[in-house]
Amino acid sequence: MAISRRAFLTTAGIGGAVAGGYYLSGGRLLGPWTRDPSQTMAAVANGARLLLHNNENPLGPGARAIEAMQAVLTDTTWPAARYGLPTGELTEALAGMYQCETQNILLGCGSTQILRSATHAFTSPTRPLLLSAASYEECPAMARVMGTTVEYVPITSAMFMDLEALAARAKGAGLVFVCNPNNPTATVLSRTAMDTFVEAVLAASPDTTILLDEAYHEYVTDPDYGTQYDIALKNPRVIVSRTFSKAYGMAGLRLGYAIGMPETLRAMRSVQFGMGANVLALKAAVAALGEPERITAEAARNTAVRQYTMDWFSQHGFEPTDSQCNFIFVNIGRPATEFREGCATHGVMVGRDFPPFEKTHTRVSIGTMEEMQKATAVFADVLGVTQAASAA
Amino acid sequence: MAVSRRAFVESLMGGSRGPRPGAAWISARGHEAFVGEFGQQAEPPAQQGQGRRGGRGRAMVRLSSNENPLGPSAVAIAAIEKAYSYAGRYPTNPVPSVNDMRTLIAGKHGLEMANVALGAGSGETLDAAAKAFTSPTKGLVTAIPSYESPTREVRRMNHPITEVPVDVAGKLDLEKMIAASTGAGLVFVCNPNNPTATVHGREPIADMVQRISAASPDTVILVDEAYHDYVTDPSYTSAIPLIPQYPNLVISRTFSKAHGMAGLRLGFGIGQPAVIERLSGWMMVPFNANALAVAAAYASLEDEAGLARETARNTAARQFTLDFFRNAGFEATDSQTNFIFVKLGRPAREFREGCAEQGIAVGRDFAPMEKEWARVSIGTQEEMDKAVAVFKTVLNV
Repeated sequence: MAISRRAFLTTAGIGGAVAGGYYLSGGRLLGPWTRDPSQTMAAVANGARLLLHNNENPLGPGARAIEAMQAVLTDTTWPAARYGLPTGELTEALAGMYQCETQNILLGCGSTQILRSATHAFTSPTRPLLLSAASYEECPAMARVMGTTVEYVPITSAMFMDLEALAARAKGAGLVFVCNPNNPTATVLSRTAMDTFVEAVLAASPDTTILLDEAYHEYVTDPDYGTQYDIALKNPRVIVSRTFSKAYGMAGLRLGYAIGMPETLRAMRSVQFGMGANVLALKAAVAALGEPERITAEAARNTAVRQYTMDWFSQHGFEPTDSQCNFIFVNIGRPATEFREGCATHGVMVGRDFPPFEKTHTRVSIGTMEEMQKATAVFADVLGVTQAASAA
Repeated sequence: MAVSRRAFVESLMGGSRGPRPGAAWISARGHEAFVGEFGQQAEPPAQQGQGRRGGRGRAMVRLSSNENPLGPSAVAIAAIEKAYSYAGRYPTNPVPSVNDMRTLIAGKHGLEMANVALGAGSGETLDAAAKAFTSPTKGLVTAIPSYESPTREVRRMNHPITEVPVDVAGKLDLEKMIAASTGAGLVFVCNPNNPTATVHGREPIADMVQRISAASPDTVILVDEAYHDYVTDPSYTSAIPLIPQYPNLVISRTFSKAHGMAGLRLGFGIGQPAVIERLSGWMMVPFNANALAVAAAYASLEDEAGLARETARNTAARQFTLDFFRNAGFEATDSQTNFIFVKLGRPAREFREGCAEQGIAVGRDFAPMEKEWARVSIGTQEEMDKAVAVFKTVLNV
């Protein structure tokens, strides 16, 4: 079903510019800002343009991560010019963090590579990919290239992933992709509900693999949530993916990883390009793992700014979901395109369309408090509400 | 730690095709080969926490992986330092963005952004080409010995492979490759060829592309020009100018060699938009090229004087090294790269182990020539002075 839903995206093809966006191979959409990249960062540098469209950490990597990268560049054995990538240091640090073996960790060029490798390894033209609509679209992009059928289960009216419906559809699926918390809906499901779901899927379809994408893990504040990496360490049909692109502030460096059992990760490793991680990212990540208090501080900072932003929308009559991420998903009662283009004229970039919610909902990433104060003033203008009310 | 790593490597190989490597095999093949074949996580026990020490504890001179011994240029490093401030942004967002990079590359050849797909090194392009263009009925045609990356991936998929031996001069046997190409999914043309170091000029490559395209229009031709910048043979030019005439021609390039960025992971494929789109489907675009590598490469590509200095330096050190071997009575191919391929008349392994004992790492085995030929990467002149002194003792000259 949903293949046709997304099929329109592929018609423009790579390099195709369309109104309000830009389509990449595999059908992913980038916003119109990528059409004028020469303006983007220059504008941001002088405060004119706010990037609230890609769920990035506005503060970037920490000082220790940058020092670690700088040490690579000043090392006169020139590790930046060498193929001998120091992957072992990072897998050992991660193994220490998760109390597992290095064989339980698979690095990727962002979790992008992990999601693609899992899709490649576990789906086929006869073994579909199953996921929620709307959810993160990396796995479907890979599936379409492979000729794998993509099956979608709608999000519930309360804006949660419909775990019961997903489990009911799982039989015969090659891979079930569950993003928790979910991008773009921002909601999270409890550890109890997720455990029940994993058991239900594997009872109904023992050969199905479940990929649990925990990209936004560090930003969750709901006490009922719990990471499921412990299940991935003991169940060969379960994989957890994580990224350094969000709370760690390294989206530009491209590093993520999977946690799973060695035999499961081996299947992914065998199909994935083995040299995707770069030396600067590897060194920066090791340094960042040594500074966990920075992640705690980043999460607290995000929580406060997220609350401010959600409150602003609520006070103006627009209902956001219960965000557990570094972005919010809000019902603005009008097409996301309209809102996005209106904001763009004021230099504020917000999220792309997320079918089937693109006619009513928009996704707004959380920047710094100063950025969000500027952004809400723009939102007031674009949405036609009086900014005075927000001061109340 | 080494024990568990070895166990890991062996477990990694369970159920897959090919040899089961032990630690000895890994150190013998070298890190470049090991990483390429077994994935980025696995590190050979010999290289663990070592700080590149050779036998007897001295610093190892790495002449094993065709790297640039001077690292990225000063302008590239300055660009990275400037780019830290946006390392938190996806590579689509900053200036230069991935699309700026594509546009710059394309513009150098009179082409457009849609002609270019960036990769995490040209290795990702080669891996993707194997996945995108071969099938159980449409195989790979490649040379032997040549760069093994496409062969390895096609073998994993169990698709057919035709390996055409290089000729007596170590050059790709273009006539036999053309003859083998009809009906193939992918023809891999590494020019200059790794490990034999030889190049074909513009005319024979243009003729090959024309004849394969005429006889087998669905076959994709991938010309790997990783060592393009180091070529000095005046009959050579890039195959990129052929792109407008041939819908199934792709050229791959890398910033890992002359630009000194192997650790930063950036390369690209360039061709007509339709074939680049097919290729890109199997790549992680646009999230494969990291923002720091893009910033560095953008600056480096604009620094033509810096590139000229690097190629001149390589040419001189290469000539010095070739002269040493030839004067000592060993035949070497006509190197057009940052490595040489030399006939030692003894197993590469024996030479490699002898050199390693004295702190010089040289290239891995390249079947079927590994019983007589060795590959030596070109380091700095100072490194080559040291290396030649070692070669003299190992070769008894």
